[in-house]
Amino acid sequence: MPAATNPLAQGLGVRRQPDPCALVVFGASGDLTKRKLVPALYALAYRGLLPERFAVVGVARTEQATRQFVSRMRTAVKEFARDPFRTDVFETLAEGMHYVATDFAADAGEDLVGKTLDDVDAKRGTAGNRLHYLAVPPQAFPVVVRKLGERREREGWARVIIEKPFGDDLASARELSAAVRRWFAEDEVFRIDHYLGKETVQNLMALRFANGIFEPIWNRQLVDHVQITVAESIGIEGRAGYYERAGVIRDIFQNHLLQLLALTAMEPPIDFSADAVRNEKVKVLRAMRTPGPASVVRGQYGRGWIEGEPVVAYREEPGVDPRSLTETYLAVKLHIDNWRWADTPFYLRAGKRLARRETTIAIQFKRAPHPPFEEIAGDGLRPNVLLVHVQPDEGVSLAIGAKVPGAGMSIRTVHMDFLYGGAFREGVPEAYERLILDAMLGDATLFTREDEVEEQWKLVDAIVGAWSRDQPTFPDYAAGGWGPAKADDLLHRDGRSWRRH
Amino acid sequence: MGVVAEVERKLAQQRCRQEDDGVPELRASTITDVVWAPPRWLPQARRVLAGLAERNPARTIFLVPLPGRGTGVEADAVVYDFEIGDGREVLSEVIELRLRGEAARHPASVVLPLLISDLPAFCRWRGRPDWDGSALQEIVEVCDRLVVDSSEWRGLPAAYGELAGLFEGIVVSDIAWRRTLPWRVALADRWPQIRKVDRLAVEGPRADALLLTGWLRSRLRRDVALTHRSAATISRVRVDGDTVAPPRQRSLSDSGLLSAELDTLTRDPVYEAAVRSTGA
Ligand SMILES: NC(=O)c1ccc[n+]([C@@H]2O[C@H](COP(=O)([O-])OP(=O)(O)OC[C@H]3O[C@@H](n4cnc5c(N)ncnc54)[C@H](OP(=O)(O)O)[C@@H]3O)[C@@H](O)[C@H]2O)c1
Repeated sequence: MPAATNPLAQGLGVRRQPDPCALVVFGASGDLTKRKLVPALYALAYRGLLPERFAVVGVARTEQATRQFVSRMRTAVKEFARDPFRTDVFETLAEGMHYVATDFAADAGEDLVGKTLDDVDAKRGTAGNRLHYLAVPPQAFPVVVRKLGERREREGWARVIIEKPFGDDLASARELSAAVRRWFAEDEVFRIDHYLGKETVQNLMALRFANGIFEPIWNRQLVDHVQITVAESIGIEGRAGYYERAGVIRDIFQNHLLQLLALTAMEPPIDFSADAVRNEKVKVLRAMRTPGPASVVRGQYGRGWIEGEPVVAYREEPGVDPRSLTETYLAVKLHIDNWRWADTPFYLRAGKRLARRETTIAIQFKRAPHPPFEEIAGDGLRPNVLLVHVQPDEGVSLAIGAKVPGAGMSIRTVHMDFLYGGAFREGVPEAYERLILDAMLGDATLFTREDEVEEQWKLVDAIVGAWSRDQPTFPDYAAGGWGPAKADDLLHRDGRSWRRH
Repeated sequence: MGVVAEVERKLAQQRCRQEDDGVPELRASTITDVVWAPPRWLPQARRVLAGLAERNPARTIFLVPLPGRGTGVEADAVVYDFEIGDGREVLSEVIELRLRGEAARHPASVVLPLLISDLPAFCRWRGRPDWDGSALQEIVEVCDRLVVDSSEWRGLPAAYGELAGLFEGIVVSDIAWRRTLPWRVALADRWPQIRKVDRLAVEGPRADALLLTGWLRSRLRRDVALTHRSAATISRVRVDGDTVAPPRQRSLSDSGLLSAELDTLTRDPVYEAAVRSTGA
């Protein structure tokens, strides 16, 4: 019986333990498994958060024995895990590890995975509960889902975690949804957006809804505008094939940026259940006005300098078309047509090869109506800004006007930073740990729902649709800067500017 | 790990060490203070820093150009605890970046990621800038204010012509100019007689003498000749042979002078006109 329904567990302060289960990783020979999934499992094992009766079944076509797989995963844990390597912890995890080399989708009825899972149930007591993790290329999602559905067993629960991207436009997302829905109910489907697993993103909800002082000012009356930035200083890291098709709009905007927007703008949910939270997020997406071409700026990086090193232009990256029109930068001005936010612009931007890695949400408040210090403050006094740092350094900053020490009444903007030091301090859980654990617990709050994904794609389709009518002049920003000049114009037209850096 | 991540990590680790109660730590800052400090200027630049902390809690980034020696960027980062009296202390982050080879020509690519967002960035440029160099151009683009001390330069007054070329791109201020303030007050006291001044004689740094003369020329719209004798600080000023009583105001320390410059954020038209009238 799960601990949640155990009356004795009440008041013990013990976190819910997931049911016994087997985690089946499709794409177990790939990069994600090695860099994120197995290190996350190790971190969970390290903290005793995995169910006692647990197994990991890795599936991929690459031939290798379980022994080899385990040995590779040991190396991966040593390299990528956030905790020190402990043989006893890894061995407990490794005891339940199996690798099945098969083309799952085309195994001519020879269900090697099913057989292994039966064995695992018998040996490890995993009770027929299955958490399927689709860490395969997106093209393989539909067929793997179909096979899973067809082979679904009666006993135990079955859930499926689907990696991003979920489709590459509205039509393909709907198609994939239909394929998934045929075999799995919505509460069995966990669409990953790993941003939602980040501590600070959850902290944003805590900040907004656990503090009486923020909600009353979180609206059009007091907020001048909101800026959300997802900036990366890295290039495409050899992923030309994927990036050429995706661009920043599919890689970052459709999922991470829109998620951050929804969490910033949503109404307080009635509780923190998956549906209550997601209902509110969907409402925000539905209230979003489709931006016209004048509200969208795309760009692509040219050569430049990053941290004292020269870097090549996007079109010079290996595997990229020398005349590529793929955007590596995007800035969009959005409006949410509801009572809270009418006429308050949300400026979103994301890009590669920008000056630094930074994900932030900046709530810029309106200026004080009549500062009596006007003459002396000069431009030393800026409007108040509440800045939520999502990465790399997690925390919250508040820009306030304060008096300069000494004689006179000189006012200056002071930044008060509350820094959690997340990325630079050990001990903050990786997003995947939280997400895998939640999926085992059946809690979908931090996953994207079908209607949410659809709303996101509608917006993306509208923006991309307009692009087919014009021919951008790329490259239009130097690597290492803050994006194209046109993106600055987007705000200057409104008498605003991007947060300075 | 890139150099920027390395710096942030070092700073975060040191901040954590000072906060072992798990409470997120608080950092207050008003500016990012960038210091372009070629090796021979570095010790002096470091000394000035200590006096700045109270009025201007800042992140300081020393850029030490080492052109021609290897390539790449090396970084040190330290969180300093400056005692400011009454048992109070100010935490200040100090980053030192050694820019080797080509990196010395492209400082913006390391400075930009390390600026504290939303706050003004000042660059104190030690020594005389290479006016046509890409380093100066990049700094002008990413910082809001350039602070120089023209008494550190040779080749005056010609260099003022180069400096004036920057006025449209960045707010410039000059510590030499700030140093002349008490003397400007004293000279202003001589109004209206001073209206007819023909010759100013200054014993002091050449920069200070040129700026004072430029100031009189531009304010009075008059051709004022300069007689100059070198001295470490302005010790004597004469107007058409008549000695000006030394100002009572005590002159500020190096840190005090810089700190005063950091308080102002907007262009100073009086200074700009004075520079333009130095005879460059
Ligand atoms: N890596 C990341 O950091 C990251 C981040 C976000 C999202 N994702 C998503 O995660 C998924 C996996 O990414 P990855 O980086 O791990 O990719 P990857 O390194 O290319 O690995 C893909 C895995 O899928 C298997 N595979 C390839 N084609 C297949 C097919 N047609 N049918 C079944 N299995 C197939 C491969 O193994 P065999 O060839 O041995 O079968 C391999 O194990 C993708 O959907 C990606 O978009 C990854």
